[in-house]
Amino acid sequence: MTAVSLSRGKFFLLQLAVAAALALLGLTGGRGALLVSLVFWTALAQGSVAVVAVTDLTGASWTGPLRSELLAAVTMLPLLAALFLLLLWPSLDLYSWAAAPTAWLNRPFFLTRNLALLAAAATAACLFACRSLRQDPARVRFAVAYLFLFVACQSLVAFDWVMSLAYPWVSSMLGAYFFVEALYAGLALAGMLAFLLDRQRREAEADWPAARRDLGMLLFGFSILWGGLFFAQFLLLWYGNIPEEVQFVVERVSASPSRELCAFFLAACFAVPFLILLSARAKRNAGILGAVSLAVLLGMLAEKLVFVLPAVPVRFGVLLAENALLLAVWLLAVQSRERLLPEVGGKAEDRKTGRQ
Amino acid sequence: MRGEEQNITTATGRVEKDVLAALGRPGLRYLAGVGLCALLALMLFILWGGLALRGLGLSGKNHPVGWAMLITNFVFWVGIAHSGTLISAVLYLFRARFRTSFNRSAEAMTVFALLVASLFPLIHLGRVWVFYYLLPYPSERLIWPNFRSPLVWDVFAVTTYLIVSLVFFYVGMIPDLAIARRRLPGLRGRTYGLLSLGWQGTVLQWRHYGRLYLFLAAFATPLVASVHSIVSWDFAVSIVPGWHTTIFAPYFVAGAIFSGTAMVITLTIPMRRWLRLEPYITVDHFEAIAKILLFTSLIITYTYLVEHGLSLYGNSPFERDQYLYRALGDYRVLFAIMIVCNSLLPLTMFVRRLRRNLAWLFILGILVNIGMWLERFVIIVASLSHDYDPYAWGTYNFSLVEFGITVGSFGLFFLFFLLFVRLLPVLSMTEIKEHQ
Repeated sequence: MTAVSLSRGKFFLLQLAVAAALALLGLTGGRGALLVSLVFWTALAQGSVAVVAVTDLTGASWTGPLRSELLAAVTMLPLLAALFLLLLWPSLDLYSWAAAPTAWLNRPFFLTRNLALLAAAATAACLFACRSLRQDPARVRFAVAYLFLFVACQSLVAFDWVMSLAYPWVSSMLGAYFFVEALYAGLALAGMLAFLLDRQRREAEADWPAARRDLGMLLFGFSILWGGLFFAQFLLLWYGNIPEEVQFVVERVSASPSRELCAFFLAACFAVPFLILLSARAKRNAGILGAVSLAVLLGMLAEKLVFVLPAVPVRFGVLLAENALLLAVWLLAVQSRERLLPEVGGKAEDRKTGRQ
Repeated sequence: MRGEEQNITTATGRVEKDVLAALGRPGLRYLAGVGLCALLALMLFILWGGLALRGLGLSGKNHPVGWAMLITNFVFWVGIAHSGTLISAVLYLFRARFRTSFNRSAEAMTVFALLVASLFPLIHLGRVWVFYYLLPYPSERLIWPNFRSPLVWDVFAVTTYLIVSLVFFYVGMIPDLAIARRRLPGLRGRTYGLLSLGWQGTVLQWRHYGRLYLFLAAFATPLVASVHSIVSWDFAVSIVPGWHTTIFAPYFVAGAIFSGTAMVITLTIPMRRWLRLEPYITVDHFEAIAKILLFTSLIITYTYLVEHGLSLYGNSPFERDQYLYRALGDYRVLFAIMIVCNSLLPLTMFVRRLRRNLAWLFILGILVNIGMWLERFVIIVASLSHDYDPYAWGTYNFSLVEFGITVGSFGLFFLFFLLFVRLLPVLSMTEIKEHQ
């Protein structure tokens, strides 16, 4: 990776520019695409911080060598909150319930609770990240607080942002499904980083091969968990065959391109990682880890698209452009982490001078 | 160097001596415990005989509550069976060292709880002699069981789980049985020798053992989730309000792990004291397992919130009415106890001092299991009591026969466990030595 490092000020300006560009794209006919991108990147950014929080909480070392890179996603959380505001503040006409509000689904409460949770999760993530990078013993408490907010936030993303598009359709598992998937996304992001940073880390970190293998095992385990949750949800909707429930599935598997996207995300999120990572050698290979992780992330993007698509039209060109912009911001955040998260710089300095 | 080797030999010898001391001559209190549990187990079989002879009219089941205390017991015991494999297999895969303190008891608990659980569908049948209709027998006469019925899935799931759990339990014990063979004289030594399958502890044997154990752990882990998911689908594939909800599979799995962990705590605290195993099952280990209890309690609480919240969110009056009925209807007291035991009291595990207080952990373990039993009861009975049609509503009161069978099932379970602690090594000596 070429070293490009932005200062906090420049990164803030970049985020403003990206937010303006995305808002422009979103509000000029691409609101569906922006919603998909928001749901996807919220899962990625919150999920990668959650992976580090779980690692710290359990005293494990799975993602230790990638800690600072994963925590760089913290810097994207305010941008995502701002995008949520820009997308939905002008109007909630994406949602059919906006015309007939209920006690839970009404404009002021919807915006307030979601914004409050996004802001609280971003703040908790920041506080946790600083302590985690310093290896402060108090980080465990902040990890607990962040994980509570992460679960609440992802549950609201599932129930409010996505499920209510098909109101009154209900799936009680959707919240749990989303936060487990966000953790899976965080691990997939770690897999991508393991590939991108492999050469550099192989020389610098003694425990790098073990970390890579652990990451492979976790991705393998999460592919099974994800598959199990998907199946458990799908089975009950299909088996119950209640019109108001099963309609959600029928709409998505009976028309193109949702049908093809369904096949793709099932293969990418379950079959590919499960079959490839069965091999112990594949789990240790950074190239394979990177490829599998990329497949998982693309699968998740396709899945979010399937959730949104029948309810709201999505322009694919706009979706690609938005995701390319957000990917660029994330890569810059990772590259600039030493300046954006000062503890990383301090730690690197300590390492150079031989201090711990 | 020689001194260091001698120290290791002394330490490993002490582990063997301490763990195998439990296999010595039992005391009076132990025999009294075995006697009491045997009597309770006998009561179960006598009452079951009565039900089989005189019919299910002896139970409190009625229209509309056709699934009641007996099915509650089935779900409860299958749930208890879960944590054994979780603690042993999952913690093995995650290389968590504290598993060595609990894995043997937990695996034994799994097997015993499954044996007890498997009685209940048979008791519930009434005409137990036609149990084979549940089994997938060859269908020359085109009487194939309905594969779309989750009750048939249950037979597959529970049987597979029982076989894998037994194999996992036994394979993990082989090196320890070989130690018992070496340490114990006479007939007992020869019996353990037979059970240890000629284990010599060679490098080749250890390599094969390690691979097999890892494979079994990896195989058993998704199996844990699948079994209780299938048990949850017994309910969820129906369209009964309160049952047909997609979160049931992870909810039941988390609930099973929660109650199983509580039972492990309940069993190991007195066992540790009576068998003087304090050096091997430390307070730190209990603190670690208490965190699992807290974690699973939080998942359960999340599920309660989501289920009840979404019943108000959607526009189904039946769902809304069902969840209001659970909280405010005929079973409200049981519901309140369930919330206190499963969601509120476990929050005390956030306090480190309470996580390390074994007396409180022991009490909490019992309370959690009371809460989890009630949770299954409320799910099963309240949904059937208050279905779609007000004309078909009704309440359920258990009969003394069902109550006796329930108490007897606890007697049978504890009887198995008491026999286990005197007949087999309760801790994995080889793993403890490895960690030392």
